[in-house]
Amino acid sequence: MKLSAARVAARVLEALEMGERIYTAVVVDSADRSMIGRRWWLSGRRSRGTLGDPALDAAVAGAVPSLFPPRESRGALSRDFEYRDGERAVTARVYLELHGPPARMVIVGAGHIAIPLARMGSMLGMRVEVLDDRPEFASADRFPDADAVRVIDFRDPFAATALGPSDHVILVTRGHSFDYECLVRLLRMEAPPGYIGMIGSRRRVRATHEQLAREGFTTEDMGRVRAPVGLDLGGQTPAEIAVSVAAEIILFHAGGTGVPLVEKERVVERFFGGEGA
Amino acid sequence: MDEKEVMALLANLEEPAVLATIVSAKGSTPRKTGARMLIGRDGVIAGTVGGGCGEGEVITAAQDLFDGGPPTTVRVDLTDDFTSWSPAVCGGIMNVFIERANPDLFGDV
Repeated sequence: MKLSAARVAARVLEALEMGERIYTAVVVDSADRSMIGRRWWLSGRRSRGTLGDPALDAAVAGAVPSLFPPRESRGALSRDFEYRDGERAVTARVYLELHGPPARMVIVGAGHIAIPLARMGSMLGMRVEVLDDRPEFASADRFPDADAVRVIDFRDPFAATALGPSDHVILVTRGHSFDYECLVRLLRMEAPPGYIGMIGSRRRVRATHEQLAREGFTTEDMGRVRAPVGLDLGGQTPAEIAVSVAAEIILFHAGGTGVPLVEKERVVERFFGGEGA
Repeated sequence: MDEKEVMALLANLEEPAVLATIVSAKGSTPRKTGARMLIGRDGVIAGTVGGGCGEGEVITAAQDLFDGGPPTTVRVDLTDDFTSWSPAVCGGIMNVFIERANPDLFGDV
């Protein structure tokens, strides 16, 4: 029996429950009309169903890792796939979805910026974890929106937090040396978090990079660190800084420009011929 | 209703339903690729593909599937002239794939 949309939805929910990444596909157009509506899913090495031709299944399975970047946890798109049916090259239009565990925001340093930042991470649908070595700061009471609050040792800060490319780590510890220790560990990971941000003044950021260079890190490594973290909004308070960091994370995923829309679109200037008149 | 709730309803349907999914969108559309809507014999059960006229076209087309029609793609054009005051002035075009969500609950298969 053909795999139905309802069955696949049940499997997706199960995968999300287990924290697994799952791709789903359905043929939405094909010269062979009987293939339209055929579907398939892939999670790790397991897959079920068929798009109606094993060659098409293989083409789609091969393409999914490059269609959805590892750092993304959600995605939806349509693509035309060419595959061989005997001697003929045929094309089918396939609609694909990625469902993965929610993106995670790991905040290192449970001080005053961490409080609004944890709330915003939660509002953005992320799983939020807050880490600090001071039990009085790393307390669940201070972070009602966080999914986990951990007391850590800065000698091994990520011992209880397995990180990967889909994670966002923001370093806002109380001390330069703690941020630095975390940074070195993150950059040495085999699959470092896709988003690494560190707060700090220009002077402090420069000092950090000088130290990284002395340790043998390349400029490419340093380029992976967003420091100072956040968009230039001009804000000062913890809430304002948290907005600027959250905004940069949205930009990172959504790929906007970060400029005010009024300047990007310039509707008055373009369509009414004036300079804002 | 969020995406996960629509997914949960889809996974647990007890009546025949048609699933409508935005499979591609160009320009400015109210909902993006991946948005889903479930349509029953008597109308929308859950979710939205953007509301307004565009959604009406999809709901109308879905009735064919209850009458045995094949899965198909509905092309919704929201690029009407702005001055027409039509609700379809978002400025985009979207392709909405409609199919039987749970063929096993349709009596004829």
